[in-house]
Amino acid sequence: MDFNFIILAIGQILAPQTIAFALAALGLAVCFGFTGLVNFGQAGFMAVGGYGFAITAVKLGWPLWASILAAIVAAVIFAFILGIPTLRLRSDYLAIVTIAAAEIVRYTVKTPSLTPYTGGTDGINGSSNSFNSINPIPTGHYGFGILTYNQDDLFVIIVGWVTVAIAALFVWQLMRSPWGRIVKGIREDEDAVRALGKNVYWYKMQALIIGGVLAALAVIINIVPTSLQPDNYGTQTTFFLFTIMLLGGATTVLGPILGSIIFWIVLSLTDGILSLLAANHLLPITQIQQGPVRFILVGIALVLIIVFRPQGILGKKREAQFGA
Amino acid sequence: MVKAPHAVPRVIRAVLGLLALLLTAGALAFTAVPAAAAQLADPTGSPSPTPSATAAAQYAEIWVRVASDKTNVPSVTVKVTGPKGYAQSFVTGPDGKVKVDAPVRGDYVFTLDVSTLPDKTLGPAINPLKITISQGDQGDPAYFLLTPGGASTNPGSSASPSPGSGGGSGHATDYFSLVSNLTVNGIIFGLLIALASIGVSLIYGTTGLSNFAHGEMVTFGALSGYVFSGILHFPIAVALLSGFVLGGAFGYVQDLGLWKPLRKRGVALIPLMIVSIGVSLALRYFYQFLFGPDQLVLPVPPGSTVAFGPVRLRQIDIITVIICIVLLLLVAFLLLRTRIGKATRAVADNKALAAASGINVERIIRIVWVGSGALAGLAGVLIGYHQSLRWDTGASVLLLIFAAVTLGGFGTAFGALVGSLIIGLLVNLSTLVIPTNVQNAAALLVMILILLVRPQGIFGRRERIG
Repeated sequence: MDFNFIILAIGQILAPQTIAFALAALGLAVCFGFTGLVNFGQAGFMAVGGYGFAITAVKLGWPLWASILAAIVAAVIFAFILGIPTLRLRSDYLAIVTIAAAEIVRYTVKTPSLTPYTGGTDGINGSSNSFNSINPIPTGHYGFGILTYNQDDLFVIIVGWVTVAIAALFVWQLMRSPWGRIVKGIREDEDAVRALGKNVYWYKMQALIIGGVLAALAVIINIVPTSLQPDNYGTQTTFFLFTIMLLGGATTVLGPILGSIIFWIVLSLTDGILSLLAANHLLPITQIQQGPVRFILVGIALVLIIVFRPQGILGKKREAQFGA
Repeated sequence: MVKAPHAVPRVIRAVLGLLALLLTAGALAFTAVPAAAAQLADPTGSPSPTPSATAAAQYAEIWVRVASDKTNVPSVTVKVTGPKGYAQSFVTGPDGKVKVDAPVRGDYVFTLDVSTLPDKTLGPAINPLKITISQGDQGDPAYFLLTPGGASTNPGSSASPSPGSGGGSGHATDYFSLVSNLTVNGIIFGLLIALASIGVSLIYGTTGLSNFAHGEMVTFGALSGYVFSGILHFPIAVALLSGFVLGGAFGYVQDLGLWKPLRKRGVALIPLMIVSIGVSLALRYFYQFLFGPDQLVLPVPPGSTVAFGPVRLRQIDIITVIICIVLLLLVAFLLLRTRIGKATRAVADNKALAAASGINVERIIRIVWVGSGALAGLAGVLIGYHQSLRWDTGASVLLLIFAAVTLGGFGTAFGALVGSLIIGLLVNLSTLVIPTNVQNAAALLVMILILLVRPQGIFGRRERIG
């Protein structure tokens, strides 16, 4: 039996995917955990940011800083488009409009007539060129055993975790500031905050923008080592992010990051164990049936977390009521 | 939050019940998988709500050539229309050819866009071409031969001449038949969405829950219909009945095992919504686990088609329309004229007041869950017949259901009907101007736009949105 999957699972800590989901889940925590906005379109923010980055970097050949800026601007515009019609309405409307808008983005970028710009269903390859061109790490292989990275992988990992650290610090300071107290007040009782003379609508919009920008930055880390695939940003990505955020603690800064690490390690472990059992005929399932298992587990985990520990691993129970 | 100590075992009991129900269905599926695989893959492939449709099993090939010297003509646009609202444009490649994947077998119309021809003195001998693509056809010839003057001077040189004379009038009748086909398909699809969305609306009205797992109730019905008619070879009536009955049972089990205990625990609405997402994810992929990732086939009885002017309807389409209208009228009657219906509307209006006036709120909610499950289940079987059946059939129409409910006004049963018809027509008719793969996006976009001007929906009341 091959137990390499355990090492590979631990290696998930360093995977760009883990970093990206940590960052996007942190953005979701700003929206949902701290402000109480039911944003089901985080995958849409990721897609918009990703295309903003990839189109400008690959198709138009912009420099790295300009592409990152384009991703951020795209996410901000998307936040305005979503926020203006829905942030005055009750939370279910935001939920349905954001999830619908995310799907609209995914359908639209796959349109054949937009293929010259978006790459259609194939997505966009080669986002890494401008990013790797500023890589200061000398060429070579780093790491040990099966966890070996080349200079480009290592660069993404370092930049990714530094970005997460900066973002976490930023969100932590933000939530200690008067601004943070107001958005938490909006989560607890919107009318009370409004009675204090605060412009609740504008604060919600700002929270949505911050959450969206973090998602846009996250997706850059995700697509640089791989490629941009439109179907990676469907509704299931949003639900993964919700699971990650709620697992770690939606009302905490470190929760989404911890959640992402645990989430991907557990998924990687279950995949490994299932493959091992199926390969040795210890479990009566086929190769095809392994695929859905992780989704079933995520769904069940989501239900169990909400029912039994809505505050997540790190959160405080009294903060995690989310009364609508 | 009031903690009910006995809630936990109930949750477990119910989850077990649910699993048992699904496992029976799954066991049935497993025992009969070879039988199912042996069946012909009926091309019920749908151009619409399945986001990632698999490659079509059959295709035709367009080839545009000049008749005199047999040179290939590249970059000519050919519009292709076909059954179930299929409408796409193709451009010939450098060899004058282009492959046309046909998701559904049936009659296709190939119309060469004369304005895209490089040499305007030449025209196709026959335009449009009508071709019947059958199951598994590999490269049905849709060949255009260009002759001087085109159709007007050289009519019917090789194949059946088209009625009438000019290409222009032929194009107009074609467009008319396309529009009427799309309209009829839109109405049928709208009625199906209506059947499914009444449940969403009623559950929302009585419990406040936006149930993201409703799509899985639709799929559940469709799959139970598949188990009975596709695997066990019962007649179509049994499939429909099983979707209805098992769907209702599924609704009952869900409420008994999951939603009622959660209501008792006092879980707030947003967490409940997230629970429904978890349920949806787990169920959907459990279906995939049991039935596999491929398209499943509900055998359509080989009845004749009936033509109403340019619109051809299969027997199953007519059955669908009748069932939908009868059931929708029945629901309207139940809601408006019976005690239970009155009580349901009272609960939706004001739960506390309803309880105070002696209505058993929990019982009403249970009835609503059963009814919603039954309607969703039946809608699922019919959608399986009308479009396609897969593990994610319900999930792929879920957002359209939500769009319909939002359009009509949350919590109003009749709004859901009107909203559904609008969405059904929009999804189908929008293919006239936009590519097929963004037709759902168009419907969702319209929903967002309407929210901008009238957030309560068409029939909703202002105070519900705040």
